[in-house]
Amino acid sequence: MKYGNRLRRQIEETLPEWRNEFIAYKDMKKYLKTLSHTSLSLEEARFICLLNAEIEKINNFFLEQEEDFIIRQKELQDRIQSTIATFGANGVRPSETEYEEAMAKIRKDMVNFHGEMVLLENYSNVNYTGLGKILKKYDKKTGRFLRLPFIEKVLGQPFLMTDLLSKLIKECEKTMQALFPVEGGGNEAWEESIFRNTVAALVTIREMRRGSSTYSPFSLPPIDDHGDHFSLYSLIPIQ
Amino acid sequence: MEKEMEVRPAFSIRSSNTMQHNSSLGMPQGPSSSLPCLSAPLEDRQPKFPSTQQAGMGKELRPSTVGPLTGPVASNNGVVGPIFSTGSAFSNDLHFSSSISQRQGHSSSSPFISQASSNFISQESSNFISQASSNSTSLSLLHSSQSGDIFQPVASDFTKESNDVSWSSDPLQGFLDFPDNVGESSQHNGMDGDDQTRRTDWGAWTDQLIGDDETLPAGWSDLLLDTNAADPQPKPFCQTPKLSSDFKVQQGPLPQLAPALSGEFCSVSSPSSGNGGTNKARMRWTPELHECFVEAVNQLGGSERATPKGVLKLMKVEGLTIYHVKSHLQKYRTARYRPDISEGNAEKKMTRLDDISTLDLKTGIEITEALRLQMEVQKRLHEQLEIQRNLQLRIEEQGRYLQMMFEKQSKGGVDKLKAQIASESDPSVPSDSTLSLSKTDFSAKESVERNNATITLEEPHVNTQSDSGSQYPPAKRLKSGDPSSSISE
Repeated sequence: MKYGNRLRRQIEETLPEWRNEFIAYKDMKKYLKTLSHTSLSLEEARFICLLNAEIEKINNFFLEQEEDFIIRQKELQDRIQSTIATFGANGVRPSETEYEEAMAKIRKDMVNFHGEMVLLENYSNVNYTGLGKILKKYDKKTGRFLRLPFIEKVLGQPFLMTDLLSKLIKECEKTMQALFPVEGGGNEAWEESIFRNTVAALVTIREMRRGSSTYSPFSLPPIDDHGDHFSLYSLIPIQ
Repeated sequence: MEKEMEVRPAFSIRSSNTMQHNSSLGMPQGPSSSLPCLSAPLEDRQPKFPSTQQAGMGKELRPSTVGPLTGPVASNNGVVGPIFSTGSAFSNDLHFSSSISQRQGHSSSSPFISQASSNFISQESSNFISQASSNSTSLSLLHSSQSGDIFQPVASDFTKESNDVSWSSDPLQGFLDFPDNVGESSQHNGMDGDDQTRRTDWGAWTDQLIGDDETLPAGWSDLLLDTNAADPQPKPFCQTPKLSSDFKVQQGPLPQLAPALSGEFCSVSSPSSGNGGTNKARMRWTPELHECFVEAVNQLGGSERATPKGVLKLMKVEGLTIYHVKSHLQKYRTARYRPDISEGNAEKKMTRLDDISTLDLKTGIEITEALRLQMEVQKRLHEQLEIQRNLQLRIEEQGRYLQMMFEKQSKGGVDKLKAQIASESDPSVPSDSTLSLSKTDFSAKESVERNNATITLEEPHVNTQSDSGSQYPPAKRLKSGDPSSSISE
């Protein structure tokens, strides 16, 4: 139940108001347990209905957040412009300290804004993965072939159309770079590498404890009998 | 694309993925608007795809185009790939759309109609499900996907005259219990079905739906996952509003689902789609549209003074409802006048990232440093997410490609196969693929998918699915773990 665990952790650590918005993976798995090995149309219909409900929930949340981001991005831009215009060197009442202060606040807000957007991207990804996995489990359990066509449909859903979000993120990064250029100081670089390595090490350890995301015939059998066996693409692990 | 733009002036296509064109709703010519979206990518070969990912998806679209299919229909194991004849389905679609639009009278029913149209679109693209799972329900019908043989009937379904709805097959049987006026039953496509007659004359069904002009069956809103579709269209006031919206149809009776089912499983999703209000549409905002909005608000004296109605009028964006404007205005006001709240949450949210920083946050410099580190982590996460997303898309693309190859092989003869075995080619161009390899891959993939066996290539599966398979032992046995080596991207 590797993904399930990861999802759970993610939800625990995520922003409070996002907690209920993730795919109800565990519930879906419970539902799968109730299915027989021959699938009935009724059961399948119900399952699809559940899936649709999840997808709708995810879509709605995603679109809401996206809308918020669009608004906030514009507001940040306006703030930047007005700060520059007011306190900047050529502004209405140039004042370096106030400018710096305002800019510092803007910087903090922008970093957080960027982070939230990335988290939404992650949200989209995590839920897509969950859907894929639960569909695989369904196929395995019932011997049917719901996954491929259904996942294709999922691919067309709004919450997976993250181009706008990507664009917003990149614009944010660009603006940050322009406003707050990062000088590569010696000390800073050193600290940064330490920090990065630490984070990377943590991630690695986590991954190692959780085992491989793919299984080959030579892997140990999965703990959960509903584990993933998508080994065909073992070179492309889906995390 | 120009043609479609006239039809749906207010909508822009955010992404031309066929699967998503279940909406473009809310237009008086709702259904017709969805169709151009559907056909646009295929006809225009995705000129608009700004990103690779979209390009990838666009490429995928071609293979998954609906086309007339003939040939053996497998039953339960029939994971049949689509046949690609790009033109035909869409001509049918357009026909269908025009027939729909003729029947539409009133914009009041547009969400309804667009729902209907989205039904069709999703059905068209969802035939694969209905075929794949012989007992799948109408719900599954609505899930877009590629399809095999089913597509032909679907495409033809969209023409009023067509009576062949083999795609309906089983799934439809059980759950679309069309009233008598719907018309003829579909042809049998070899799938074991329910006893119910196949009433899948979509033209008649559309008529009936539109004629009802009442709420769509409650289940539909749950069943259909509307997505966005819109065309960019210059507007007098707002330059290039890209307006795409999803329209959910409100709850209502479920006349067409089997009674045993209607109340039951869709009640799960009823609450979620029970928006309470009527015709609550899911709008997808874009920065351009927001600019338009802001201009309108400013013209009206600011966010406090502006009223939703006034803004709506000023924006002059078709398909935008006052409900959209109202909720957006609310968000806007919150963001503007209480930025501490919007960003305040972010502070709490980002606390853990700050905690990761080992720096003391007391001085300004250190705060800056912490922010920089936080930014770095976020950027990396963003990179990784994009990579992962692309990989996932590629994987699905390959899966579809394999299916398609397999389907093509099973339909063609051995000779054709030999003729076609040539150099590697673009996955989206099926004719050049190495079919034997792909068949091997496909059977391998199939066995993985079905049995959770891992890498063994299973002949029986191949044989089950096509006659030619048995005569044509895989020329190469690939390592299943390396499908990409045989199929170029």
